[in-house]
Amino acid sequence: MLRFSPILILLCFVSPIDGLAKVVDETEIDQKVREIAKTLRCAVCQTENIWESGAPLAHQMREAIRERVMQDQSAEEIRAYFHSRYGNYIMMEPPKQGINWLIWLAPFLLLFGGGVLLWREVKGWVTQTPASQPPPTLDEASRRRIERELHRNT
Amino acid sequence: MTRTTQITILVVLLALLSLFYQGLWGDPRHIPTVLVNTRAPVFEGPDVESGDPLSSKRYKGKVIVVNFWASWCQECKVEHENLLRLYDEFKDHPEFVMLGINYQDERPKARAYLQRYGSSFPHMEDVKGTLAINFGVYGVPETFVIDKQGIIRHKWIGPIVDDVYTNLTQNVLTPLLQKADTQVRSYEPST
Repeated sequence: MLRFSPILILLCFVSPIDGLAKVVDETEIDQKVREIAKTLRCAVCQTENIWESGAPLAHQMREAIRERVMQDQSAEEIRAYFHSRYGNYIMMEPPKQGINWLIWLAPFLLLFGGGVLLWREVKGWVTQTPASQPPPTLDEASRRRIERELHRNT
Repeated sequence: MTRTTQITILVVLLALLSLFYQGLWGDPRHIPTVLVNTRAPVFEGPDVESGDPLSSKRYKGKVIVVNFWASWCQECKVEHENLLRLYDEFKDHPEFVMLGINYQDERPKARAYLQRYGSSFPHMEDVKGTLAINFGVYGVPETFVIDKQGIIRHKWIGPIVDDVYTNLTQNVLTPLLQKADTQVRSYEPST
């Protein structure tokens, strides 16, 4: 039995077992709804978009998006509608304006500031460390003593 | 590292810590509303009890209290008695209108709820939640006050009880009914 186990394992990967992967028939409207819903935050959940949320309000919002997509509204128009009802809170990505710039720029500013600090510190260490020098010369007495010790051991 | 650099780092760290502290202890339910001081959406739908069409257009030029509720909502039951009291207090004023919007509910359940807890003002159905999204509703109960010009002047998330009721009647409704263009400040909860 053990001899066949590699073949069985291989068959698990190559056989078309139903259920391993689902084929989803997605229309163009479904795709648009998904794309828009993924950019809007579920108003009653924490950090979850309305596409992934199971909350009833998120479900209603998905339906509202679908209705507007079917009315040929653009993604921007739909997002603007939700923004007008719920404000910045509804956007998964805060709009790049006003105080929101802080959110967008702070990581880069902190990274830059940290890099400058690190560079200055390392530079300081390098300048404080004395340049490499040749080892001090051995005086005659020490040299004789070392030789004496070496001879005694051999 | 110079003293100036050390102080700068300390200031930045303190600022980040204060932001973290705010995020940690702030009320996660407090979400700033964008609809206060903007024009209220037109809302239409069938009456929960009679099935007749209702429209906000019918109440143009009046102060409208709009309360979103549902039969499955526990906090709505808590505030219901106060809503009936509020309606009784202002119903004789010719420019006062109160409307309930039944959010994502089943008509028989909503009717049973109104029969059990009492009903003195009309209620509109919002089965699909479209009206709720138009009003930027997060959940029920939520209450809005619209002035005579059709501008939303006040929004409250949660039940109308105790000091919320007092504030709503004394600081919001009374001034709005007394003057045509009174600006009332939106009530913020004391945390």
